[in-house]
Amino acid sequence: MREFKDPRVGFGNALLAAAQKDDRILALSADSSGSSGMTPFRKQFPDRHIEFGIMEQGIVGYASGLATTGWIPFFSAIAPFVTARPFEMFRNDLGYMNQNVKVVGRNAGLTYSDLGATHQSLDDVAILRTIPGVTIVCPGDPVEIERAVQAAVVHQGPMYIRIGAPSIPVLHPADVEFKLGKGIVMMEGSDVTIIATGTALWRAYDAAEILRSKGIKARLISMHTIKPIDRELICAAALETPAIVTVEEHYLVGGLGSAVADILGCMPGPHAPLKMIGVDDQYASNGPYDELLGLYGLLAEQIVSTVEGFIGRKMPRS
Amino acid sequence: MNALRPEETATLEAAALRIRQDILRMVRAGGAGHVGGAMSCADIMAAHYFSILRIDPAKPNWPDRDRLILSAGHKCMALYAALRQRGYFDESILDTYGALKSRVPGHPVMQKLPGVEANTGALGHGLSIAGGMAMGLKLKKSPAKVYVVMGDGELAEGSNWEAAAAASHHKLDNLLVFVDCNGLQLSGPTADIMNYSPLAAKWAAFGWSVRTIDGHDFGQIVGNAREAPFEAGKPSIVIANTVKAKGISFAEAKVDYHYWKPKADEMARAVAELEAAAVEGLKA
Repeated sequence: MREFKDPRVGFGNALLAAAQKDDRILALSADSSGSSGMTPFRKQFPDRHIEFGIMEQGIVGYASGLATTGWIPFFSAIAPFVTARPFEMFRNDLGYMNQNVKVVGRNAGLTYSDLGATHQSLDDVAILRTIPGVTIVCPGDPVEIERAVQAAVVHQGPMYIRIGAPSIPVLHPADVEFKLGKGIVMMEGSDVTIIATGTALWRAYDAAEILRSKGIKARLISMHTIKPIDRELICAAALETPAIVTVEEHYLVGGLGSAVADILGCMPGPHAPLKMIGVDDQYASNGPYDELLGLYGLLAEQIVSTVEGFIGRKMPRS
Repeated sequence: MNALRPEETATLEAAALRIRQDILRMVRAGGAGHVGGAMSCADIMAAHYFSILRIDPAKPNWPDRDRLILSAGHKCMALYAALRQRGYFDESILDTYGALKSRVPGHPVMQKLPGVEANTGALGHGLSIAGGMAMGLKLKKSPAKVYVVMGDGELAEGSNWEAAAAASHHKLDNLLVFVDCNGLQLSGPTADIMNYSPLAAKWAAFGWSVRTIDGHDFGQIVGNAREAPFEAGKPSIVIANTVKAKGISFAEAKVDYHYWKPKADEMARAVAELEAAAVEGLKA
C-alpha cells in the first residue's frame, strides 16, 4: 500500500526539523503560514517566524536584507505570488545580490485547480530559470521534499523549491541518494526514457509501471533539480534509449522539457528525439484537479498513450 | 539646532565638496551620469560617511557595522565618492566610470566594491532590503543601525509603501531614512509627475516618526541622525529638502540636469566653480 502525504505538511515538518538544528533559519509568512505548512514552526519558534501580511514583493526584499545579516530565511506562499509577482525582487535582491534565501512556492502547477489561472503557477520555473545563480528544485515525493529542505539549508545561495498541495505518494526509500543537480534514476529501461519532475512525478511513475507491465521497458528519471540540470544523465539517456519524454505540470515554454530540449538541441550526433508533456500556450482552465490534469494529458494513462504513440509501439497488456 | 562644532562643519563641507568634485571626475571619465541627484544628496552622503555611520573601511564586512543603503541607486556617484574618500578603494577606480566592466557602474554592485551594501538602481527595492537588515540586526541584538537614502521621485514605487508598513509594524527603530527631496525627477517636477505630497503626513500615517529639514544643513542632518529613533519603537524618517544639482550654479534646480551629458565648456565651468569653492574653503 502506498502512503500518501500532504506536501505542505512535509515541507513544514522538514523546516521545523532543520530549524531545531540550525538557529539561523527563519520562516517568513505572507498571511499564509498555516496553509504553507509552517504552523508547527510558528508554534515552536514564534520569535523566528515573521508575519508580513500580503506583501510578497516587499517580503522578498526583507528576506534579502535578513540574509545579509546571516539569517537563512525560508519564505513560503502560493507559487505565483512568490515568483511572478515579485520577479524583479527575486532577480535583483536574491539573484543579483546572491543572497541565501529559500523561496518555497506551494500549490504550484495546476493544484489550485478551481481558482483558475491567477492562482495556478505554470510559468514559475520558466521565469526563474532566467536568473543566474538560482537553484530550482521541484521535489516529486515526500522524501524528495524533506531532502530538498535539508539540501537548501546546506546550499549557499538563492533557491526556489516548488511543491504542490494535494497529497502525493511516497516513491523513494528513506535513504535514497539525493543531490542537488543530480537526477534520480528510479527505473532502468532501454525502450524509452521518461523524465519527470515535481508534482507530475508520481503519475509519470505510474505510467512507467503500466508501460513496463505492457512490455515496454521504460527508464524513469526524477529530475528534481531543474537548475542546474543534470546534463550528463540526459545525454546518457539520449544515447542509450531511442526516445525521451518529459512530464511536468508547467508550461512547455521554459520548464523541464525546455531545459532538456536546450541540451538535446546542442548535442552532436544522432540521439533520441524528444516529446514534451505539459501545458501549451494557453491560460489553463478551472475545475477539479484530476479533471484539469486530464485536459492537458497529465494523467498516468494519458502519459502511457503519449509515450506509446511517440515510440510507435502499442503493446497489449499481457 | 546645530549639533556640530564649527570645525566639524568645516570637515563635512570639505568632504562634500570633494564628493562633488569626484562626481565631476566620474562624469568626465564616463561622458555622462546622473549628476542632479548625486549632487543633491552629496551633503547627506558626506554627513553619513564622515560623521554618522559607525563603520571601519578596513573591515567592510564587520557584522556590527552601520549600513547605508542608497535606494535611489542612480545617485551612486555620490556613494562611490564618499566610499573612496573614506579609503574603501583607490581613487583611480573613479576614472573607470563608464568603462567596460568598471567597478563603479551606473548603479552600485556590492560584489564589485567594498562598502556597497546592496545592488540598487531599480527603484523601490532599497527600503525592503534595509528593513530586512534592520530586522536581522535587531534579532541578533546588534547595536548597528541601518540608514537609507531615497529619492522623492522614487516614492511613487508602490513597493516602498509595503516596506514602510512592515518597518512600522515590526517596530524597526534602528532604521532611519533620509529622503533626498529635490523636487524634480526625470521628466519634470515631482509634484506634477505623481504628487505624493504631503509626504510627511503620509509617512506619519504609515507609523513613522517624521522630521523635515534643510538637506544641505550639516547641523540638521547630523543632529537628527544622532537623535534617531525620534520615538522609541518607531522607524524614523527625515524629509531632507534639497536642491537638485546643488553646487553647479547653472544646473541647480533644473530638470535638464537629472542625467547630464556635459559639453566641454559646461564641464569646465562646473569644475571651475567647485575649484573656487575649494579655495574659499581653504581660506575660511
